[in-house]
Amino acid sequence: MPMIRLDEVSFRYRGATQLALSGVSCHIRPGELVGLLGRSGSGRSTLACTLNGTIPHLVRGELRGQVHIGDQDIRGRRPRDLADRIGFLFQDFEAQLFSTNVALEVAFGPENLAVPREEIVRRVERYLRMVRLDALRHKLPAGLSGGQKQRLALASVLALEPQVLVLDEPTSDLDPAGRRDLMEAIRSIRGDRSLTLVLIDPETDEMDWVDRLIVLDRGRVALSGTPAELWDKGEALEKLGVKGFTLARLASSLGFRERWRDADQAAAAIRATGWRVDGGAVDRLRMAEGQRPPGEVLLEVEALMHRYPDGTEALSGVSCAIRRGEFVAILGQNGSGKTTMVKHLNGILSPTAGQIRLLGQSLRGQPAARLSRRVGLVFQNPDHQIFAERVRDEVAFGPRLHGLSEDEVSRRVDEALEAVGLAGAKDLDPFVLTKGSRQRVAVASTLATKPEVIILDEPTTGLDHRELQGMMALIRRLNEEGHTILIITHAMAVAAEYARRVILMQDGRIVRDGSTRDIFRDESSLRDLGLTPPPAVQVANRLGVPALTLDELIACLTKSINSPIHQFTDPPIHESAPGRP
Amino acid sequence: MNLFLYLARESPVHRLDPRTKIFLLLGSFVAAVLFSQPGPLAILLGVLLLYGATARALGNLRRIWFLLVSIAIISMVSWSIFTRGATPLFWRVTWEGLRYGIGAAIKIDSMIISGLIFLSTTRTEEMVLGLIRLRVPYRAAFAFSLAIRMVPTIIGTAVTVTEAQRSRGLDLESGGPLARLRKYIPLLVPMFLQTLRNTDQLAKALESRGFGARRERTWYLEIGFHTADILALTLGTILLVIFVAIRFLG
Repeated sequence: MPMIRLDEVSFRYRGATQLALSGVSCHIRPGELVGLLGRSGSGRSTLACTLNGTIPHLVRGELRGQVHIGDQDIRGRRPRDLADRIGFLFQDFEAQLFSTNVALEVAFGPENLAVPREEIVRRVERYLRMVRLDALRHKLPAGLSGGQKQRLALASVLALEPQVLVLDEPTSDLDPAGRRDLMEAIRSIRGDRSLTLVLIDPETDEMDWVDRLIVLDRGRVALSGTPAELWDKGEALEKLGVKGFTLARLASSLGFRERWRDADQAAAAIRATGWRVDGGAVDRLRMAEGQRPPGEVLLEVEALMHRYPDGTEALSGVSCAIRRGEFVAILGQNGSGKTTMVKHLNGILSPTAGQIRLLGQSLRGQPAARLSRRVGLVFQNPDHQIFAERVRDEVAFGPRLHGLSEDEVSRRVDEALEAVGLAGAKDLDPFVLTKGSRQRVAVASTLATKPEVIILDEPTTGLDHRELQGMMALIRRLNEEGHTILIITHAMAVAAEYARRVILMQDGRIVRDGSTRDIFRDESSLRDLGLTPPPAVQVANRLGVPALTLDELIACLTKSINSPIHQFTDPPIHESAPGRP
Repeated sequence: MNLFLYLARESPVHRLDPRTKIFLLLGSFVAAVLFSQPGPLAILLGVLLLYGATARALGNLRRIWFLLVSIAIISMVSWSIFTRGATPLFWRVTWEGLRYGIGAAIKIDSMIISGLIFLSTTRTEEMVLGLIRLRVPYRAAFAFSLAIRMVPTIIGTAVTVTEAQRSRGLDLESGGPLARLRKYIPLLVPMFLQTLRNTDQLAKALESRGFGARRERTWYLEIGFHTADILALTLGTILLVIFVAIRFLG
């Protein structure tokens, strides 16, 4: 008997015209690990929410069809009635924690289910050990890092000892180290296969270890199969707005049919079959790099120190210079000081010590309200700033504050919305837009003030594959049109593909600062910071090719005997690729 | 930023049953409102400071010293000016008014310090459990703890929203009162909506952890009366009786 059985499940959100789920049927076996893929709005989260009764009990709408968990029809059952059968881990780790210490957090669920105290004590021990938080049992959850919080939330759900665990984008808000540790924890609970798992994650490459992938599109199951079966279905996946497996694209471009498990295997296969590095292509890559020399120094940060009122030192002596026209990615784990640093560049925070100069002029004493015309900062979550009832008023907010005439304001609003591809949405309510479009509205509102420098804090978080590509293409175009761009990001593929310079931060300091190519070639120092280059770069590094994207890598490989041939240089010694069980 | 006052320390007061601490808290409030003269109130303050020292909680005073001093100054100044008395000192200030002001200052500060000691030594969960054993319904007690839990979230949202709008050119420091008031709209709308989203998330997460699934629930924390509690309750009662006696007999 299947553990989860969906029969013709349809759902329409209250007030919506279209179905979010439209006749989904699927069976999931006990102990199976199923990955759900699909663009935003495809119905992934909606589907997950029907499994524990969140839909229709907490999220209203019209639900049809049947959902069975084991032998039980869950119609009429609230999430709390199903809590001992089906656990739910959410993306927002802050909202899942209620207690004042780690052990009490894990105990909260079993307490609600009236589990005897001795048994709760046993479960607290067991599950804290499983997620490796047993040493922190007396800590305040609010004081943990994001990754630790999410692991604590996982232990708290596991403590209910459910038969099914739904993980709804649990890693989306985490930094790379937090992601890695959580995924490791999830892999370890797979050990005994007593749990049935449903995992939603936007990163196809991270889903290669699941038993089965289900791709949703417009509320229907569009594609389903094991990762091996979907390995060479890259095109079909892209059509559904989902990224295909990176290594699979590389394999098919080079005419390989086998499935590569990791970069090591891919590189070995490529080496063994007569592929050579095309020296001419590598030279062309390097040439293109030097074509656009950056201009004068725009922003200068000198020995910047920042201490928060509670005494934590967030920045301890940061120095760097940003030149006009640069495209810089700032990488590092949460808490390394990235956001704190950029908040100094537009005057939101003032240095405890040190200097910041914009075109040679000190920022000290200049109010953020005035600086915002020259240095624009787009915050991570657009919902922290959108307030107007119409998109045009939202975008006009900044220009109006700067006292521009209404004619000028409306001209700038049109320009900015045109630039972000939302010209048609001028009179819409921002809240009916998707997350990706709201992010664009936020960018447009900054753009409308025509700043020389645009800083974006994690501009791709929460966007799906296509939205991400659209957002990054927009940022690249702004850069080409002359804006100096700084982005903070956890997405290594984004940094590798778009930025020309990378600044690595750790513990309030800049530990490395150089061209993207140089930084990504040095895999071991990235790994020291808990960062992993994207798969394409890993393969390139193993082949000794300075490529930053899959296309660059493919362009640099040749089987032709006419091109100047470089022997594969021995790649630097790498630590092994992230562990696989 | 840590907004919780609880200090995870070992002390005899930390080990007391939350009900004992609730009794001592209420007892100190009763004692404080009994008096308006500085003398007995100073004794009460002394007792409270001793209690705080035993609890190793006086370090937290540093976090609220500004509040304590401001209250003391405001109440001394205002009562001195507005209370009439028979013995003039200077300008409108009389000896009686000043005494009353000092008394009010010690009274309010004592109550705050007593509350501070309670919060520094009692976890939210212990408080909830204590209230339940005192027959407060679980849902009411939990709602109270959830309210405390939401405070840092709301403050965090407020800080981020303010920073985001300042980054767009919002200047909160200039303009007349009406213009300033209007400037709060871009802050209040996202704050309100974000808080709604947060509570919505919280509700989903609470349900999925089985909150409210059973009529009965069990407790991981163990509380109970021990010798120290009996001692503390006895001592507290004796002190309270003495204070009442001073007030009505002395």
